Amino acid sequence: MSDGQDPMNAEGMAHTPPEGGVDTSHGPILYLENVSVSFDGFKALNELTLYVDDGELRCIIGPNGAGKTTMMDVITGKTRPDAGTVFFGQTLDLARLSEHEIASAGIWRKFQKPTIFLAHTVFENLELAMQADKGVWASLRACLSAEQRDRIDEVLALIGLIGQRGLRAQSLSHGQKQWLEIGMLLMQNPRLLLVDEPVAGMTHQEMDRTAELLTSLAGRHSVVVVEHDMDFVRSIARKVTVLHEGSVLAEGSMDQVQSDPRVIEVYLGA
Amino acid sequence: MSMLSHGIVRTLLESDRGGRIFLLILAAVALAIPVANLVIPESSSLHLSAYTVTLLGKYLCYALLAVALDLIWGYCGILSLGHGAFFALGGYAMGMYLMRQIGDRGVYGHPELPDFMVFLNWQELPWYWYGFDQFWFALLMIALAPGLLAFVFGWFAFRSRVTGVYLSIITQALTFALMLAFFRNDMGFGGNNGLTDFKDILGFNLQSDTTRVALFLLSALALALGYLVSRYIVNSKLGRVVVAVRDAESRARFIGYRVEHYKLWVFVFSAVLAGIAGALYVPQVGIINPSEFSPLNSIELVVCVAVGGRGTLYGAVLGAVLVNYAKTWFTTEFPEVWLFALGGLFVLVTILMPQGIVGLFARLRGRAAARKSAESGAGEAT
Amino acid sequence: MPRLFTHTWIQGLGMLFLLACLAPAPVMAQDAVTDQELRDTVAGLTNSDFSAKQTVIEQLMRMPHRRSAAILTAMLNGDLHYRKDDEHVVIAQAGEADYRLTDPVTGEDLGSTEKSGIRKITVNNQLRGVLRNAIGQLNLSSDDPADRLAAVRETIKDMSPSSIELLRAALAREKDSRVLEQMQNALALVDMGNPDKAVRLGALERLGGSLEPEVRNRLAALIEQDGNGAFIEADPDIRQAATVALARIDNRVKIFGLIETVFFGISLGSVLLLAAIGLAITFGVMGVINMAHGELMMIGAYTTYVVQLMMPAHIDLSLFVAVPLAFIVAGLFGIAIERGVIRFLYGRPLETLLATFGISLVLQQLVRSIFSPLNRSVATPSWMSGSLEINSVLSLTYNRLYIVLFSLLVFAALLLILKKSTLGLQVRAVAQNRAMARAMGVRSGWVDALTFGLGSGIAGVAGVALSQLTNVGPNLGQAYIIDSFMVVVFGGVGNLWGTLVGALSLGVLNKFLEPWAGAVLAKIVVLVAIILFIQKRPRGLFPQKGRAAED
Repeated sequence: MSDGQDPMNAEGMAHTPPEGGVDTSHGPILYLENVSVSFDGFKALNELTLYVDDGELRCIIGPNGAGKTTMMDVITGKTRPDAGTVFFGQTLDLARLSEHEIASAGIWRKFQKPTIFLAHTVFENLELAMQADKGVWASLRACLSAEQRDRIDEVLALIGLIGQRGLRAQSLSHGQKQWLEIGMLLMQNPRLLLVDEPVAGMTHQEMDRTAELLTSLAGRHSVVVVEHDMDFVRSIARKVTVLHEGSVLAEGSMDQVQSDPRVIEVYLGA
Repeated sequence: MSMLSHGIVRTLLESDRGGRIFLLILAAVALAIPVANLVIPESSSLHLSAYTVTLLGKYLCYALLAVALDLIWGYCGILSLGHGAFFALGGYAMGMYLMRQIGDRGVYGHPELPDFMVFLNWQELPWYWYGFDQFWFALLMIALAPGLLAFVFGWFAFRSRVTGVYLSIITQALTFALMLAFFRNDMGFGGNNGLTDFKDILGFNLQSDTTRVALFLLSALALALGYLVSRYIVNSKLGRVVVAVRDAESRARFIGYRVEHYKLWVFVFSAVLAGIAGALYVPQVGIINPSEFSPLNSIELVVCVAVGGRGTLYGAVLGAVLVNYAKTWFTTEFPEVWLFALGGLFVLVTILMPQGIVGLFARLRGRAAARKSAESGAGEAT
Repeated sequence: MPRLFTHTWIQGLGMLFLLACLAPAPVMAQDAVTDQELRDTVAGLTNSDFSAKQTVIEQLMRMPHRRSAAILTAMLNGDLHYRKDDEHVVIAQAGEADYRLTDPVTGEDLGSTEKSGIRKITVNNQLRGVLRNAIGQLNLSSDDPADRLAAVRETIKDMSPSSIELLRAALAREKDSRVLEQMQNALALVDMGNPDKAVRLGALERLGGSLEPEVRNRLAALIEQDGNGAFIEADPDIRQAATVALARIDNRVKIFGLIETVFFGISLGSVLLLAAIGLAITFGVMGVINMAHGELMMIGAYTTYVVQLMMPAHIDLSLFVAVPLAFIVAGLFGIAIERGVIRFLYGRPLETLLATFGISLVLQQLVRSIFSPLNRSVATPSWMSGSLEINSVLSLTYNRLYIVLFSLLVFAALLLILKKSTLGLQVRAVAQNRAMARAMGVRSGWVDALTFGLGSGIAGVAGVALSQLTNVGPNLGQAYIIDSFMVVVFGGVGNLWGTLVGALSLGVLNKFLEPWAGAVLAKIVVLVAIILFIQKRPRGLFPQKGRAAED
């Protein structure tokens, strides 16, 4: 992200963390240790401790109010923890970075409701999301290079929207919009992708496509998925974490978790 | 060089059918009007009076102003209710130059001070009038004054993320405050009489037909260039970012665009364009006064763009010409009906045709195309 | 719904009426002298002999009749005549071609006459002195403290041995503390001429508490220097005391000046409040930008004008008719606007802004076509004219005072409606979650129309108040619309208390800036201040909380 031409942009870029700053030499890419957050006395997160390995695909489940969304907010810097530490790799203290800085460090979040640029084509959406000089002057004179076109095509193939590249985003189906948004996040080359309930409102076919897409991302990116739909979780998850009342209730494979009596009580007993 | 620019223009207009039509008409008018005014004798029914030439020149200035507004409203989603302020500032900058050109030919014959200052018993020229005897300086100020105001205003407003109707109302307050300020005699801009009684520009008599035709042609040129530059901006990635900001601001910010810089840049550019329009307007109408700042002027402009169809640029031109022609016609034939008509236009356009005339045509064309394809049985058009 | 409001309004009007009754009204003097006795005495003035006239004046001076002072004043001004045919004494005022006659004793109209029909009762310089003295004396013994106060002030300006004598005599009788204080000040001024230094110092001590401009001038003269740099007052102690007294006076004047500025600010603020609370409902609660709000105020003001046209004999009562009527008229206009236009534009705020701006143009032109583009004058009822005099440097005009009270009343009523009534509950429900409210059986379309009608009605009521302060013309609304939006934005959208605080603080801020920066610059400064303020608190002073407030 070199930026020499646009003086207006200098201020914002000064805080960008150093390139390649994520040190995953010890395995995990994300460390949450004893994190607590409370709103008006209500403990949304209670001493939560959670590790995510580099390249892992992790599913987080839990009943309503378990603290899933708050956890995402803490990781992306939207909410500050009252206590505990949040580290990205060995060195980056997320509690000290702004939302903007966290994003440029490589953590991107996909919200539940797709927000894409409806008046633009699928291709343009990806172009806008592409890593590039985002200054005003650079945009005025920007011209796509062959590599950049290739990169967009690559992501288009990954999210299965090659055929729709010239279509306006507003005419996409719900599932296609979700994939396009994931594609836009992929254009940023994220290290860690947080995905919030990706299959809500999707048809079965779309769900299968999404599962395929997310599994294919693992390895190259670390992915954390928050989801309600158990069938979907089963179809993608290698490791599942169950949250309850702001802390981890159980962790393991889907089968292990499902046979855990505490989990059964939380899900069925209440 | 000309080959290159020709190439650029061609790529710019490649997918802009409306723009091609508009520029062709503009070129035709720019060719026909001088002939009709200067060559065809007055006795002929094809002769065009200087008054009409000036009136058309005025419309072109409004059209340029409308393009400026469409850029910021149609593409960036910022409804400025104060664009008349930038227009007026450009106009005042030009007016100050024209005032200084009068020299000692004023009523009071003072070599340096404009008449109204002599009338107010001022002894010397205020500092901010220095330099306006030079044309280049006036040109600089025509761009700088509105640009600077837009920069300062926009810097504050966009940084604090003032959006939507809040921003609209603040822009209206801005032009209202400026109007009040310019009405004051001690501001040094001629109070409510404004600046007038101009004699000549760069040595050419403002009353002569040739000067008027030249000013008309300049306006046409400015409009064409303003249109092309705006089209270039809109077609660039910058234009796509700006539309993205309009449709999903927080998303655009999220993927790394400094939204306030984009808005500010387009806002300042639009203000400068408006200032240029104002500067061309003043020598043609021969006066600039604080009523140009009135909120009503700015909002009339908005209705021009809305009627034409926003987010298309040529729609703005179309709207500006139509609405201002209607205004000329009403205010001479039925002056008391004009505000009813204007007010009604606001309501009708917003409720019945939000995309303006251009949108209406597009819909009709779409329907015709659908019918055609249905008739030919080529596709299952629904 | 209308019944609900009128009910509240009647209560409000009742309170206003009570307040109006409490306002000081002229106290009727009990006439110890009958009209006939007075008439007989006055008849003596037709005598051309000046010393005879003097005797009559001195007789009149001792006759405490409510018209005595008026007769003597007329004589002093040269308005007192007698008819040549019947020697009846009359007060004659020159009209365009003839003289208008009034009876001096009863004050009733006696028709008009040619100049040749009457003869003037002449006075000479000596008589003028006697007359002034007599008028002062009569006023000093008037039953109305305000008359006595004015008489004392008059005396201070022009002291003669006889008037001092009168003052001392009146002092002994005086009961009213303000008049008493004024009399003591006047006598202290007299003491300033006393050769005894102690008396003069005592007088200075006393005068330091006075606020009369006359007193201040006299004190300032004491410490002035003449052309040669020598002090006019030789004694340094006296000069010192005078300086201290002056400083005390200036200090108090400054404090009262401050109070006055605050009052003007609150008065402006209450006008802004009236203009803005209607907006706070349509904009704050419904999220609808109504650029025609100012024109709804204009409609309210014109309603007042029409009401006064229809009841010219009862101007004092006109406002009590105009307030509910303006509410209904403007409210109906509002409902029509909502049903006819705004309803199609929910969720498109910029379009709503444009459409309502169009409506505002139409309404302005409508008023121009019906009532002419010129300003119309609306009369001020007698109970609203005049001012409450706190002291000689601070007086608060009644119309402003009443408008402050009125705006608070409207505010309270509105608060009550939103908090307690069924409509209020439904309005808040629709504002928070339209779909949910509809599911619960709230007719959201109906609620929208009524809410908009309520906001518009309040604009109409604000217009009635405005008609008492400014000219009523087609541009009335425009002047207030931007300011009221600023108030709503500054106070925090959707919060009525924010609107109250916002309006009052902007009003006071404006009035404090005005003397320093001028009215126009003050407006600009306030505007810039608000823009800067929004930087810090984008949601205003009192932001809405909770999820609904998120984008």
